Amino acid sequence: MLTRRNAGKLVAGAAASTTLLGVGFGSARAAGEKEIKIGINLPLTGADAEGANRIKYGALLAIQQANDSNAIPGYRLVPWVLNDATSTAGQYDPAQAATNARKLVADSAVLAAIGPEMSGSGKAMAPILSEAGLATITPASTNPDITNPKFASEFDPSGKAIYFRTVTTDAFQGPAMANFYADVLKVGSVYVLDDSGAYGVGIADTFTARAKEKGIKVLGRDRLDPLQADYTVGLTKIKALNADGLYYGGVMGAGAKLVKQSYGILPQKMPKAGGDGLLAPEMLTSVGFPAAEGWYCTIASPHLTEDPKVQPFVKLYESTWHTQPDDYAITSYDAGLVIINAIGNLIKAGKPVTRANVRDAIQASHTNTLQGEVAFDQYGDVVNRTVSVFQVVKNPNYPLTDIIHQFKYIGSAPTS
Amino acid sequence: MSETTLVTQQVINGLSLGGMYALLALGFTLVYGIIELINFAHFNVFMIGSFIGMWVLQAFGLSGQSVLLTGLPLIGALLAALVVSMFASGVLGVAIEKYTLRPLRSSTGSAGGTIGMITTIGVSYILFNVILLGFGADTKNFPNPLPTIHFDVEGANLDLRVILIWVVSIVLMVALWLFVQKSRLGKAMRAVAQDAEAARMMGVDVDRAVVMAFFWGSALAGAAGLIFGLYYNFTSFLIGYTAGLRAFTAAVLGGIGNIPGAMLGGLIIGLIESLGGQFIAVKWTDVIIFAILVFVLVLKPTGLLGTMAPSKS
Repeated sequence: MLTRRNAGKLVAGAAASTTLLGVGFGSARAAGEKEIKIGINLPLTGADAEGANRIKYGALLAIQQANDSNAIPGYRLVPWVLNDATSTAGQYDPAQAATNARKLVADSAVLAAIGPEMSGSGKAMAPILSEAGLATITPASTNPDITNPKFASEFDPSGKAIYFRTVTTDAFQGPAMANFYADVLKVGSVYVLDDSGAYGVGIADTFTARAKEKGIKVLGRDRLDPLQADYTVGLTKIKALNADGLYYGGVMGAGAKLVKQSYGILPQKMPKAGGDGLLAPEMLTSVGFPAAEGWYCTIASPHLTEDPKVQPFVKLYESTWHTQPDDYAITSYDAGLVIINAIGNLIKAGKPVTRANVRDAIQASHTNTLQGEVAFDQYGDVVNRTVSVFQVVKNPNYPLTDIIHQFKYIGSAPTS
Repeated sequence: MSETTLVTQQVINGLSLGGMYALLALGFTLVYGIIELINFAHFNVFMIGSFIGMWVLQAFGLSGQSVLLTGLPLIGALLAALVVSMFASGVLGVAIEKYTLRPLRSSTGSAGGTIGMITTIGVSYILFNVILLGFGADTKNFPNPLPTIHFDVEGANLDLRVILIWVVSIVLMVALWLFVQKSRLGKAMRAVAQDAEAARMMGVDVDRAVVMAFFWGSALAGAAGLIFGLYYNFTSFLIGYTAGLRAFTAAVLGGIGNIPGAMLGGLIIGLIESLGGQFIAVKWTDVIIFAILVFVLVLKPTGLLGTMAPSKS
């Protein structure tokens, strides 16, 4: 939920971004320092607002720390936060994402970007960024098409990777849950739903393909309209088919209603799962217990928020933003570290700090981040392909909206 | 689940959807019947009605999925929520009429037609954005105070909440029908519907009749909003759009301006949605609904039961 406290933050963040031509972000600026703008594009309002804000805070924290520690001598990083959600869509809106990409490209001070969160936005932004040679690092969007060389003419017409990721893709995330269904939960038959979005359709497709390979019977596939309120019709149909399991590819817009309505229609014991779209604060605030109990979800990165090595970061994040980080807040922070490292490398090598050079430096970078060393393949995908599985399990020792403790980490998913 | 059970279940699903569409369709039809105006603000009066219902229930300490009240206190809280959300939505409807449509009526002589319709679309967007900006865009967890009671019908599951939708819908629809047919004010409304000028000359207070149409139409939207929340256990700033469009379609299908037509249209759309979803696919729902609408209108342009709107000859 957008609480008053983080709503205030949001306003403050927006104010910081609009006044960036004047005062920067935080501490005083030394004379003669040059400014580098880092675009941040996320769906900050709408159905996925909470997760998006946590991602934004991760990126802002990395930038703030770099400025405070003077990590890039002679330069100052200025975040420029853009919102790609619209009220008509109620969630991320690819048309708005394209508009935002054009804004970033038009400002020559923008040398790199973080985002987007949603693959639908990524598909709209990638060709625009590609033409301008502006690199972006997504901490959360997992649709594989965007970086797939097969679709380069569509998403990367210039031919040089500009869409980097600090998470792996649904080419691994969807199949990972199919493996988990087949090998761990021993699911024999499954029904698959998606939310009509680029991410949802893509991950449901990759899940379905692997499920068939693993011998799981796919009983059917249907599509939900995120603007529609009633999914009981589809759920009744699934119940009648006696499916062993349900897989939903999509984000919380349709997801919150689906999870809520499946409770009471589908058997409690039936395995139900989604991708990282369901590992969102809204699963606990908009849906809550008991409806959310038992749902599985994945993330396309290693699980870090409970890692002892990452606890200093978690504490710093909490004291700075008064909210908890989730794993994608960490991958977002990591994206910030990669950009900072890449620009730092350029300066050390004495090369001019331009968009093209920043892109090349990101491509070549090996950065020590919270998730370990991050490096990219030639298409921009992260080399590490861990997918982590979680289950919503009520933990009475923590608040029921605590995103770290109400999602129980099950382990990393089987890779084949 | 056998085929009979499955069909029974989908019919139950469809009838409860239909009950909600019908309640919402009545508001369109009532206003259209009186001043020939398609009131698109109705979509979001419904949405605000569900928020008001949620706030009233929260004021009684009900939140989330916990069942805190039982028996009479629960019925009291629900009735209070129903009365407050109906009244507040009714007042909102009257305010919309008074501040945006009445000035149009006095300057152009009619609030109907394109200008009025565009005005209501504008008002609808204002309401939508007020809720979005004021209360955030996340899906709200609507209180679920009703005990979970299931009845078995041919193996299908009939939930207490479904019965609640039907009872409230039928009671409100019948009450509205009686009000329009029998009461003095209802007769005045029908007189205005037939010929506003003649009605005025006969001493009917036209403004009052129009205000009443807006009040009761919007109050029904408020009731539908509360029922929506209780049934689905969520609300959000977005709910007006799809439900409103389907309800509007229901009103046109049944014959816009015609009260029994709106009820019939609502039930038909609900059943098409559930049976179409079952036997074809959920993703085709809108295509099926609107294809049937086009088909019916081509064969019978006035809708299934015909319009009761003014026959100005």
